[in-house]
Order: sequence, then structure tokens, then C-alpha cells
Amino acid sequence: MEDLKATTKRVFNVGWTNFKRNTYLSMGTTGVMVLVLFLFSGLMSLNYLTSQIVSSLEEKVDVSVYFKNDASEEEISKVKSDLELLGVIKNVEYVSKDKALDEFKQRHAGDTLVQDSLAELDDNPLQASLNVKADDSSQYASIVTFLEGNKFRSLVDKINFYENEQVIARVQAISGGLQNWGFLFTMALAAIAILVTFNTIRLTIYSQKQEIEIMRLVGGSNWHIKAPYLVEGGMYGALAAAVVAVLFYPVAYFISPKIESLMPGVSLIGYFASNIIQFISLLFFIGILLGVTSSFVAIRRFLKI
Amino acid sequence: MIEFKDVSTIYDNDESIEILNGVNLHIKDGEFISIIGPAGAGKSTLLRLLTREILPHKGEVILDGVNLADIPSKAIPLLRRKIGTVYQDFKLLSAKTAFENVAFAMEVCGADRGEIEDDVPKILGIVGLSDKLKSFPHQLSGGEKQRLAIARALIHRPRIILADEPTGNLDLVNSYDVVKLLMKINELGTTVILATHNREVVNAIGKRVISIEKGKIVRDQVENGKYVI
Repeated sequence: MEDLKATTKRVFNVGWTNFKRNTYLSMGTTGVMVLVLFLFSGLMSLNYLTSQIVSSLEEKVDVSVYFKNDASEEEISKVKSDLELLGVIKNVEYVSKDKALDEFKQRHAGDTLVQDSLAELDDNPLQASLNVKADDSSQYASIVTFLEGNKFRSLVDKINFYENEQVIARVQAISGGLQNWGFLFTMALAAIAILVTFNTIRLTIYSQKQEIEIMRLVGGSNWHIKAPYLVEGGMYGALAAAVVAVLFYPVAYFISPKIESLMPGVSLIGYFASNIIQFISLLFFIGILLGVTSSFVAIRRFLKI
Repeated sequence: MIEFKDVSTIYDNDESIEILNGVNLHIKDGEFISIIGPAGAGKSTLLRLLTREILPHKGEVILDGVNLADIPSKAIPLLRRKIGTVYQDFKLLSAKTAFENVAFAMEVCGADRGEIEDDVPKILGIVGLSDKLKSFPHQLSGGEKQRLAIARALIHRPRIILADEPTGNLDLVNSYDVVKLLMKINELGTTVILATHNREVVNAIGKRVISIEKGKIVRDQVENGKYVI
């Protein structure tokens, strides 16, 4: 009786023979899997773009805390360090009264009316502030509650959260919607892709039904019958992954500038180029898994005793 | 030894459609049995019970003291290696040569290349196909195809051969050739169970004949059976 090495060799030989025996059917099955993997790649691109849209929207949102004129720099610095200890803060920037005035002057450098009005004033009319960016836009409400607490009430003059609240809520709704609908859309398309692959491979195995029947009748064990078909399914997946890997990058290269013109700073080709090893490994993993699983499910039907 | 004890089978879980109805049968090792009856009488069902393709609805099918219903699924391939099967439609793989068709049965059971290259030419020699090793099924006559199917059934040196209408697609001359081959196999000690509706074939064999009609055994002629209405 053969050892494990010989068994494995036989399984791969038979799998390869099955694969190349019916060229048109094999090409058809591989073609369907290429479409499925392209769909997965498209969904990955869509998820990347969605996440870029969400993060760029969230990047634009912050909350400014304006302090009363009698609040000292030490007290504001204490507020800043307390905020940082909350664990939900991405970044806190202190803007002193002087810096706020400088920035205001720079912004209105060409406006003589504003410049003249400022020159007439003895004191700096602007307030020191902290610009707070949270890790997640849903955390602003709790940050504001923290700042409005008794501890800082005497120092804080106003918080512009309420002016921004609607914008923040809208950003939250858009990002939540994009993520939820994107997830549902991905799952629905993935389910369709799996069904199409499964049925295509089942059709391929169905064409070898007589061979499977004979194998059962002559006493072939389930493992000996099944293994070459699993290898065959894996081969469809691996070939399809290789084709998609070769075709996807030129397509991404072509459409990336068009996306960048709509969403400045978002480079699709840059994202996939920097993750090339992970992306190609994932394609092969999904392709082989899909092929092997589909073969496994399809052949079970013919192995019922 | 094969024993059928009050065996009944039904069609597709429908108890109102009985295929076999209370069959009792005892077959000794080395016997040649012809099971005769019209189409739909239950002959093939009787054979499929022995290969555990189906289970009885009632009763027991016992092989060498073991109730086949008690065999775990994993052990069914081992049971089938003890039982060679031959069918009316040959069940040969058209894309494989005669050698490959027989070798295929050894490969799926895990035989190594050396064993295959030793055994396949020998078995093809026994059935008279030494010169057809490289021929594809479409290049063989009906009788040769059936002899090739018999060679494949013999490759695991089974103790039992089940032949389901093996002469159904053959002319008279080839039918007798196949029957002679089955008798030769039986003389070497293998139990042969032949299911057929062909009276001439049964009468030519002249051994035990079991007549089956509408799922019931209606006659069991133990010695020198001749089918006579």
C-alpha cells in the first residue's frame, strides 16, 4: 500500500488530469471564478474608498473650547492634560490668545477694515482655546459633558459643539450608513459570488458523475474519491487568483487618477501597490478556499451511500 | 455465506410501494445463483442490498454472520472490495484504455504503481483481453466490453461477483462467452449471483435458479435449475 507521499502525488496527479481533461469546462469555471474574485477586489476597493470618505469627513470635524479671559495658561494646560487622559482624544491643540490674534490677522491680511479695527483696540479681543479632535465623532458629546462638568465650569466660556452638533450628527449618520450598507452590500454580493462558484463547480463535477459512481462501486474510500476533486477546485481558484492579480493592477492604475480627481489625496493604486503581497495572498486564499469548499459541498451529494 | 431474513424494501420512503416483500434466502459460499424475473420484479434491488447501496426497510441482510445494516459508513468501501459488480451498461470510462479502466479500480483503493502494473495485465489475460490493453471502450465489441467490466470486478479478488443483466446488451454468442467466463470464475471458488430475465442464459448454466416476481421469491430450484413456466 502506498505511503502518504505517494497518495498525495496521486491526488495531485488525478486532480491535474481532471482539470486539463475538459478544457472548455475548466476554462468556463475558471472564468466564473475570475469574475467572482474581480468582484471581491472591487468590493475591497469600495471599502477602501468608503473608509477614506468617512475618515476625511471625520477629519474635518472638531470641537473648540473657548476659555474666559481670566483663565491662566496653567489652568488651561491642566484641562488639556485631563482631556488627554480620557482616552478618546486623537489630538488637542492649545491656541493662546496671541496665537489666535496672529492667525486672525493672517487670515484677514488683505482686509484693511479688519486690520484698522484691530489697530484701534487696546486689548486682544480673542480668547484662548483648545481645539479637540476625538478618535470617533460619536465621542464629542461625552467630551462636552466632561468639559461642562463642575470642575471646569468656571474656566470655560463657550464650546462650539452646539453649533457643530448637526454637522457632527450628519457625519456620524453618513459614516454609519456607508459602513452598514457597505457591509450588507458586500455580504450580499459575496453570497451571490459563492453560489455562482458553487454551482459552476457542481456542474463540472456533475460531468464526472459516472466516474465517481464507478469509484464508489469498486470500493474507493471517500477520501480517495474526494481528494482529487478538492485539488481540482483549488486549482480553479488558484488559476483565477493568478489571472485577477495580473489584470487588477493595470485596471487600478487606469482608474486611480480618475478617482483622485474626484477625491484628492486618495490613491487607489497607491493603496493596492503598498499592500501588494497581502492583496495577492488574500486573492489566492479566497480563490483556493472558495474552490475547495465548493468542490467539497458539490461532491458530498455524489458520495451519499 | 449470504442470508436474507424476511427482507422488505420500499420505494422512496413510501411504504405503499414495496419492491421486495419478505424475501428469505440462503446462499452458500461458492454457489452460482441465477435470479430470474421480469423487469421491476426486484432483482437489481436484491443485488443493491448486498453492496449496501440501499438498506432494507424490514429484515436483515447478513454476509458472513454480519448484518450489513450494522456496518459503519467508513467500512462500506471495504465491503465493496469483497464484492465485484458487473452491469448491463458496462459502466466503463470512455476516456480510459482497457488497462486504465482496470487500474483505476486499484488506484482509488490506494494500490501502488508496482501492484497495478503486475496485476492488471494478468487479470486482462484471464478474461482474454491481453491484446487489448491499450484499446479504448469504443474500440471493443460488446462482449469485450463486458469481459473488461468483469476484469475490473475481479481485480480486488472478490469472494462474490454480482452480475446485473450482464448479457442484456449482448448478442447470443457474446452472451454465452460472458456466461462461460462467469462459470469459470465460479469454478475457482467465487460465489456468483447473476440477475437476468433471459431464460436461455439461465437454462444454459443449469445451476440453482431463484425466480422472483413482484418482490417475492416464487420458486427456488436448488440443483440443475431450469426455468420452466
